[in-house]
Amino acid sequence: MKKISLTVNGQSVTADIPARTQLADFLRDNQLLTGTHIGCEHGICGACTVMIDGAPARSCITYAVACEGAEVTTVEGLDDDPIAEELRRAFQEQHGLQCGYCTPGMMVTARDIVRRFPDADETRIRHELSGNLCRCTGYVGIVRAIRQVIEARRRNGASDGFTARSELGPVGSGHAAANAAEAVAKPAEAVKPVATKARKSAASGDKAASGPRPLNEMQRSLRISGPREQVWEQFEDIAALARCMPGAHVSEIDEAGRMIGVMRVKFGPISAAFDGEADNERVEDAYRGKLFGTGRDQRTGTRVTAEVDYALHEADGGGATDVAISVRYGLSGALAQFARGGLVEDFADRLAQQFAGNLERMLSGEQPATGDGDAGNAGNDVNAVSLVLGVLGARLRRFFNRLLGRG
Amino acid sequence: MKPAPFEYARAGSIKEASELLARDDITARILAGGQSLGPMLNLRLAQPDLLVDITGIPDLVAAERDGDSLYLGACVSHANVEDGRIPDVTNGALAEVARGIAYRAVRNRGTIGGSLAHCDPAADWPCVLPALGARAVVQGANDKREVAVEELMQAPFEPGLEPGEILAGLRIPAMSPDARWGYYKYCRKTGEFAEAIAAVAWDPARGFARIVIGALDTLPIVLGDNERLFGDTPERKPFDTYRPEEADRMLTDAGVRDPLKRQVHMVALRRALEFASA
Repeated sequence: MKKISLTVNGQSVTADIPARTQLADFLRDNQLLTGTHIGCEHGICGACTVMIDGAPARSCITYAVACEGAEVTTVEGLDDDPIAEELRRAFQEQHGLQCGYCTPGMMVTARDIVRRFPDADETRIRHELSGNLCRCTGYVGIVRAIRQVIEARRRNGASDGFTARSELGPVGSGHAAANAAEAVAKPAEAVKPVATKARKSAASGDKAASGPRPLNEMQRSLRISGPREQVWEQFEDIAALARCMPGAHVSEIDEAGRMIGVMRVKFGPISAAFDGEADNERVEDAYRGKLFGTGRDQRTGTRVTAEVDYALHEADGGGATDVAISVRYGLSGALAQFARGGLVEDFADRLAQQFAGNLERMLSGEQPATGDGDAGNAGNDVNAVSLVLGVLGARLRRFFNRLLGRG
Repeated sequence: MKPAPFEYARAGSIKEASELLARDDITARILAGGQSLGPMLNLRLAQPDLLVDITGIPDLVAAERDGDSLYLGACVSHANVEDGRIPDVTNGALAEVARGIAYRAVRNRGTIGGSLAHCDPAADWPCVLPALGARAVVQGANDKREVAVEELMQAPFEPGLEPGEILAGLRIPAMSPDARWGYYKYCRKTGEFAEAIAAVAWDPARGFARIVIGALDTLPIVLGDNERLFGDTPERKPFDTYRPEEADRMLTDAGVRDPLKRQVHMVALRRALEFASA
């Protein structure tokens, strides 16, 4: 629990709240100011917009602890505000609301538009209002209401001239003394490694039923130096293959040849450790096979299923091998909400490149470089900092070389 | 959704923040304006043990003209830039770009350093700052270094910061009075993640020309020499000799396989060039 003190609608308030409390929840549940509405909770819909230090801000993606010493004004605090009074009347006259859910956020944003843009036309109003969604789609009335207020104020010479706040930095911040000494963060319980036995039972069972459907698909081809026969042999040793995969750690291989272990992934602020198992089914003589894996991240409760078809083709007159890979994967749980498929593919590409590099090193008798100097014992996170230097660096170099006429 | 539990610490100095961030027994993340991290926390995509709020560190909210460049603390907000609360050294480029970031309610808390350090390829600053030739000032508990922003960004969401290092600020070179710039961002809906971004800066007096193609699925393409895109006359009227077929080829090389997407990027680039030429 954190003790916070701030000003809400002109009143000083103090409360003990968990650090994770959104400002919106603090206002609604702790201060009982339920005029502030919560919609999407990730900064898109604008229903939770309040004023912090006199400027509109999202109270869902602003945590109350970050507003120590700040001045917060909610729709309840606008009762005696002259612009808000004119807006309320105009919203009524122009039918600027239906269900009213977006209205508190609309009022705060509308007031900001009236103050900052005394000459706003409809295009400007619509542009500035684009961060507030009306689920009744009643924008025509809302825009008219704002326009009516702006025009009336222009006629009456009531525009009071907008002055931007002089302080630099995010609104809400910069009022309070440091409290870092109080920080007693301990690792969360969920990150403790789970027993192998539990992993096994969680991951075993019918393949199709044990994980989310693999609906995403990507195809790639990797060239690995070394003759196909040698690469194919290497593909039989799945423990060795796993050592080439950054972030993978095999704890056990059962009699059926199934790997049990963990795959750690770090993608910016997102990190996960998928406990699970993987099978490798080979079609001998055809130089192709299939990897099938399922896993679960304890911390986020995310489950993953992946199927990887691979086929080895001779290349470069037999001196190299092209590995054609077709990956199908599915996610369910918190991480499945990450809806930026292109970025995931880019990440997977970097993994594949690192894997190929490690495989080549292993074929030539070296230890795979897994990133953190823990070579050969691939218990490392897939940390893109160490991982991408090679791949991305190469990509940039290619561009610059071409530009400078060296490509 | 509500975020998973985390601890919160407000750092009073870079050294203090740095020490918390260097802890290897917990997952600690920097919190600046929180306008990108907040959604990821609320969706529980990110579940750090500790947030280190750096917005109270006085050095990080500085903005000052420093010789031929502008120094901006990492925690200067987009709205600060939009409102002209910082000296204009880019002939209006920074303010114009800031005006188009997300929504005003987001710009009032979102920070320029936070956006760069988040390294989202579809964000504005990771495309614009390289185009302007900006450098990142990176500070750890004991030492300080400077690196070109395009070298800081190592992959989507991955700034090249060592444990305990913080992006403290940005050094943005001052443009000559006759320098030109252009910026175009294509979004399906105002304020959403961009589908294409192009940034152009041309400053013949300083011998400086940059083109950035962004909002790809990977880091922006930063072109520091316009020879290939602009025929053989890089010094004179570069925008009149633009070769779209070269841009198309570069996009293909960067992995943009869908011709429609390439076309959207090329239109953004052309419009940025037109703006810079007008």
